[in-house]
Amino acid sequence: MVAEMALVKPFSKFNTSIPKIGSSGRLKTRFLSVKMSSTATPPPPTAASKKKTQKQEIQESLLTPRFYTTDFDEMEQLFNTEINKNLNMAEFEALLQEFKTDFNQTHFVRNKEFKEAADKLQGPLRQIFVEFLERSCTAEFSGFLLYKELGRRLKKTNPVVAEIFSLMSRDEARHAGFLNKGLSDFNLALDLGFLTKARKYTFFKPKFIFYATYLSEKIGYWRYITIYRHLKENPEYQCYPIFKYFENWCQDENRHGDFFSALMKAQPQFLNDWKAKLWSRFFCLSVYVTMYLNDCQRSAFYEGIGLNTKEFDMHVIIETNRTTARIFPAVLDVENPEFKRKLDRMVEINTKLLAVGDTDDTPLVKNLKRIPLIAALANELLAAYLMKPIESGSVDFADFEPQLVY
Amino acid sequence: MLASTTVSLGLLGSQLLYFPSHNPTKPFLLPLNKPLLKSPNSITSSSFLKSRTSVRTAVAAVDSSDAAVKRGLQAGGEGGSNSYHFVVANAKFMLDEEEHFQELMSERLRLYGERNMEQDFWLVIEPKFLDKFPNITKRLKRPAVALVSTNGPWITFMKLRLDRVLQDSFETDNLEEALASSPIDIEFEKPEKWTAPYAKYEYGWWEPFLPSKTSNV
Repeated sequence: MVAEMALVKPFSKFNTSIPKIGSSGRLKTRFLSVKMSSTATPPPPTAASKKKTQKQEIQESLLTPRFYTTDFDEMEQLFNTEINKNLNMAEFEALLQEFKTDFNQTHFVRNKEFKEAADKLQGPLRQIFVEFLERSCTAEFSGFLLYKELGRRLKKTNPVVAEIFSLMSRDEARHAGFLNKGLSDFNLALDLGFLTKARKYTFFKPKFIFYATYLSEKIGYWRYITIYRHLKENPEYQCYPIFKYFENWCQDENRHGDFFSALMKAQPQFLNDWKAKLWSRFFCLSVYVTMYLNDCQRSAFYEGIGLNTKEFDMHVIIETNRTTARIFPAVLDVENPEFKRKLDRMVEINTKLLAVGDTDDTPLVKNLKRIPLIAALANELLAAYLMKPIESGSVDFADFEPQLVY
Repeated sequence: MLASTTVSLGLLGSQLLYFPSHNPTKPFLLPLNKPLLKSPNSITSSSFLKSRTSVRTAVAAVDSSDAAVKRGLQAGGEGGSNSYHFVVANAKFMLDEEEHFQELMSERLRLYGERNMEQDFWLVIEPKFLDKFPNITKRLKRPAVALVSTNGPWITFMKLRLDRVLQDSFETDNLEEALASSPIDIEFEKPEKWTAPYAKYEYGWWEPFLPSKTSNV
């Protein structure tokens, strides 16, 4: 899972008050409920006090990869075959077979090229690579935590769906572990056990988990395959061997996305009304904008591997959007040049926002300076959201289906 | 609905106000003074090790044996080896537009090679069996290409992936008959604008999957 979802903030339902992050009891319980087995043992006291201080230092910016949690009771209801008789179990069993096949069982094996390449990476590019590995590892690990818990919670109500979640958490764990080993080439390691406990968890209702993770997985596929194919043709930019693994790796991401596609098809109420269309567009926009702003802040990374950041992102957005149109009932018209113009204006505003933070002004003055910029950003976002959408969806549901020619 | 979007945008704004003004410290990213696996006293490596152990356990718990996987792959769940399942669409869609399809096919061929499994999936250009499916042919642009396999669940998965395809199955004892095709030259026009930072997969990528190229036909 690639977390491109940071722009999306938790929200509970229409017309309800805004949940306050950190102060909601419910959030806290759910936060505690997602735990890796390894963290069950309390750490020795010295480590604990040390961690406590560190915990206060974790600063999450708007665009950092997030950890997610959900309403597990509702999930259990949704996949209870007795309550929901429309579940297409043939599709889930087919998926289970694919995941059991485990195409990448022996793929993630390192060699000595890694350390050698890492040692050669120096200067600003080195720092950017570390950040790339760190963010990717966090995102994969975030998928591991969520899927593992879902696999555990759904075991009784729907063993097939539960096993798929467990197998997907296997993939995510493998990916996260591989990235973390990459960090060791730079003499660093992400403390995943600590992250599990110390990071904030964003709560999403199941239907939002479906939209968000579907998009995360599919956009992850398109990012990785694009980087892989570009570097295969331009090996002179192949500065770190991890990219050679992306071709097989991203097939996992793509299959994970297929599973969420099946989950949504099993819950047509999340796909077939006007609310679903509005949410689909909202999630597409959030994911695309988050990626665009993130990547434009890190264009040195993409340039370092020979890509033009904005062209790369637009390619990924257009392809992800085409893929998403196979399941979401509405998607954005991202191929309309106006969409890219809006994204570019958001990048400009975001750059100014970041610049405010780097000045020596007092916090109050900084916040005052930010207000017009935030208003401008919100304005662009809203305008992009309101652009004329494209009606879409799986042919299994489409009204036009009888006339469709394949 | 608009209200709720503004709510989220409002939240976005309030988040931005607390945007860290300096480079955030990264307490969870610690330098390793010693090799990772040999410093049990450092917080980093000890919890990292623990989490990796649990990751391993998770993997072990869900991993299936190779033999079981092979059985699942080759028996194809339902039906005997006489059942042929397929998805079909026009050639342009199957061979030119859906590049991830090429990747799935190659991945599967690689796996079958690694595990010494007999190929049970083929691409059939203008399949003759379509004559038995008038309900499909009347909705199909030609030339058509079918993905045929004796593994039913896999074809169900491929239908889920490709979506814009028609799915059905038929029975026959004769593999050659099942995979018979009408010879036809396939040509695709070059895409008008190609903006990807890489070239398209080469024309003819599908040849290893044609029945004539596999040993058992």
